[in-house]
Amino acid sequence: MDINKIIEECKKINDEYHYFNTIDEGLNSKSSNCYESSIRKTPKKQGDGKLNNIAISVKDCICVKGLESRAGSKILEKYKPVFDATVIEKVKQQGAIIIGKTAQDAFGFGSFSTNVGKDMKIPLNPFDKERACGGSSGGSAGITQKASFRHITLSESTGGSIVCPASFCGVIGLCPTYGRVSRYGLMDYANSLDKIGPMARSMDDIALIMEIISGYDEKESTTLNEEVPKYSDFLKKDIKGMKIGIIKEAFGKGIDKEVKEKVEQGIKKLEQLGAKTEFISLPLTQKYGVETYYLLAMCEASTNLAKYCGMRYGAAEKLEGSFNEYFSKVRSDYFNDESKRRIIIGTFARMAGYRDAYYIKAAKVRTKIIEEYKKAFAKFDLLLSPTMPFVAPKFKDIEKLTPLQNYMADILTVGPNLAGLPHISIPAGFNKDKMPIGLMLIADHLKEEKLIQAGSKL
Amino acid sequence: MKFNSDIVIGLEIHCELATKSKLFCGCARSGSNEPNSRTCPTCLGHPGSKPVLNKKAVEFAIKLALATNSKITKELIFSRKSYFYPDMAKNYQISQYEIPLATEGSIKLGSGKEISLTRIHMEEDPAALVHPSGMRESKFVLVDYNRSGDPLVEVVTNPDMTSPEEARDFMNQLITILQYLEIFDINNCIIKADANISIKESGYIRAEIKNVTGFKDIERALKYEVARQKEEVKEGKTLKQETRAWDSEKGITFSLRTKETEADYGYIVDPDLVKIDLTKEWISEIKKNMPELAHEKLAKFTKQHGLTEEMARIISKDKELAEMFEAVSTAIDPELAAKWIRRELTRVLNYNKKKLNETGIKDIHMIDLLKLIEENKITETTAQRIIEKLVESSFDIKEYVKKQGLEAVSDVRGLEKLCKEAIDEAPKAVEEYSSGKEKALNFVVGIVMKKTKGKAKPDEVNKILKDLIK
Repeated sequence: MDINKIIEECKKINDEYHYFNTIDEGLNSKSSNCYESSIRKTPKKQGDGKLNNIAISVKDCICVKGLESRAGSKILEKYKPVFDATVIEKVKQQGAIIIGKTAQDAFGFGSFSTNVGKDMKIPLNPFDKERACGGSSGGSAGITQKASFRHITLSESTGGSIVCPASFCGVIGLCPTYGRVSRYGLMDYANSLDKIGPMARSMDDIALIMEIISGYDEKESTTLNEEVPKYSDFLKKDIKGMKIGIIKEAFGKGIDKEVKEKVEQGIKKLEQLGAKTEFISLPLTQKYGVETYYLLAMCEASTNLAKYCGMRYGAAEKLEGSFNEYFSKVRSDYFNDESKRRIIIGTFARMAGYRDAYYIKAAKVRTKIIEEYKKAFAKFDLLLSPTMPFVAPKFKDIEKLTPLQNYMADILTVGPNLAGLPHISIPAGFNKDKMPIGLMLIADHLKEEKLIQAGSKL
Repeated sequence: MKFNSDIVIGLEIHCELATKSKLFCGCARSGSNEPNSRTCPTCLGHPGSKPVLNKKAVEFAIKLALATNSKITKELIFSRKSYFYPDMAKNYQISQYEIPLATEGSIKLGSGKEISLTRIHMEEDPAALVHPSGMRESKFVLVDYNRSGDPLVEVVTNPDMTSPEEARDFMNQLITILQYLEIFDINNCIIKADANISIKESGYIRAEIKNVTGFKDIERALKYEVARQKEEVKEGKTLKQETRAWDSEKGITFSLRTKETEADYGYIVDPDLVKIDLTKEWISEIKKNMPELAHEKLAKFTKQHGLTEEMARIISKDKELAEMFEAVSTAIDPELAAKWIRRELTRVLNYNKKKLNETGIKDIHMIDLLKLIEENKITETTAQRIIEKLVESSFDIKEYVKKQGLEAVSDVRGLEKLCKEAIDEAPKAVEEYSSGKEKALNFVVGIVMKKTKGKAKPDEVNKILKDLIK
């Protein structure tokens, strides 16, 4: 499809659904095979890149050189990064076309993409405009569902921000092992939890882009120096004898009946193809996952957001008063409520006197949760649960949630995120309101290929 | 802690390590001084940038830990120290908290007293704040990020020092160690101290003096502070625990803030940096390449080379001179070698404001030169002149002496002739000498020296003259 038409379509969708914070209109003014505005390194020969002419949208928190990147926030309005994130560099080298930056909860703080930056628009669910896209990567999932052209999105998850919106918007979303994909150029939410991963409509595209963006990066210390498998080889591989653990707690209290049914149908399908299933219990993750996740994520986030003070980039105000007064004014005026909430809680939990009880304790529980998963993977190839316990909620219902109820929505997704385990959400059908339902598979560290192997059968 | 000395001093010293690049990015640590020219997204704290640890800096810090006999941690962990300040690119500083690089080390003072170290840890330097018209008067502040991210080690002592002089000596000893290890460049590395000081009369209520640069100022600042605290107690005032600044120009300290509680930096482990294993193999590899340190050289110079304590101390303090001394004394009498390296060479270097490595003077030059003295082939005056020339350009000593005809005149008959001439030329001085004025002879000796262009030995000339006048 012609790039000009793609951009036109994106603009049209955006007017209605608000999936983009920025559309790279710079492309539009140029001929369709001349994308200097966003392509720094092109493949040697035109046409031999693995992503040649494929449209890629990018979550707002991933830096694209010269293209406004604000992590969905107001405080970074008009900020244009001076460098490309490693994943952007890699896809550009393969000839991809960056079409724009997708809407998200500011800094990734949310499960419904309703916590967008001040004065910004909330993305609407592609199946029902009165419902949320899920979060925090709502725009990524929405455009992935809506685009008529071949499209992959580069998204990011800290506690479920890839699989949750993928589930709510009916697309595939894969969150890789922590350290599999470089975070260089990712605006940090919680560095020990952040992972960049893709969403797409086809498993082929997921496998393709994972082969390109994975791997060691000398610019990012937490990347793993492990060989990247040829993921596409696993698309056709059968799943005979594969052992899948069904997470017992995920089918218990609080789960929507229709979600349960559809996911159980998915399980049956896998069984018919030769997979062996068995129930497994993860009591520790169930009981402490959400609390542990939010403590650690907020502690880290509160330090990451300190740099946004109206001094070097982003928002700026008239210089008045002492630096303390100035920083406070900018931060008070530009951060949204959820950002402030997380900064305050995160700062509190690492202060002397509380640090041991919260931050240190959470770090210890996290280790225990990892151990619980590791024990499970000694026995199973994959773990399975619904991605979200319910379908995309209506905005009017989200408004009624307390912050705590809001956080509890992540109960199924925080576990693999805390443990740095790769996981994927795959569409498992629709409920009677025609809202999509997602099934989640979790694999052991660096076993993304198993997610692709089994996921492609659903 | 219980104290009983009149003065109690503890130091926290920040030293910049002389690496090529900064601690967490590839920017040059030194070089262009144009503001903000040595910066990148990481040291400017741009969104999305990530730190990558400079292993060389770790190696340098480990050297210091080894040199101070510290216990080195098995895992290197960095933490975020959070506070808002305009010189902080990220509004947190990457530092170390619970587990520092090293603990339980010590440094010996000149007196032999040991000062124990609580910890040595690594951290990044913030940017520099530039107050265009002075700290108090400026309406605005400029920020220069060239320094942002420079590698620092912080050395924290126990409150073991009991006088400003000891604090000065501690700084001195530390600088010597840093220079011996070649991890510090006095020309472009910052070294500054925060000093905690209290006195008995106040019940040891301590003041912290921030950012004192150099060992001379440490002594000055602490002396001022002792006097101030004593004066205040005498006047019946109660001292407050406070943080003070040092004004080097005026030679005074002034209060910055009174500390009610310890600042809360909300430390968390920096999740962008992985734990680094400080393996036994790595540390022993570093150990293998450690130079002999000043105190070891000092002991050797007194015991093996037979130097006096004072001479050994002065020579061992400067690594280059100490190494030259060792090399030269394999061929030359150590005492003579020490004397010439310590006095003449140092004098000429100081006069020319040069360091040894900035000249072409090598061990072989000193050996050749001192051999000629030992063999009485040149006079000391000639040798002094040669060193002065050597500072400017390097040349072969033996050849130079031959070419310039600088061999000492030891031909007695030839000297006698010149002495007779001198006596004839200075009848007045000879008369004075004869009438008992011993010093008058020096004038005559001077004439002979001039005639020989300094090549005669003054002792010999003296003797011949006395014989002739008698």
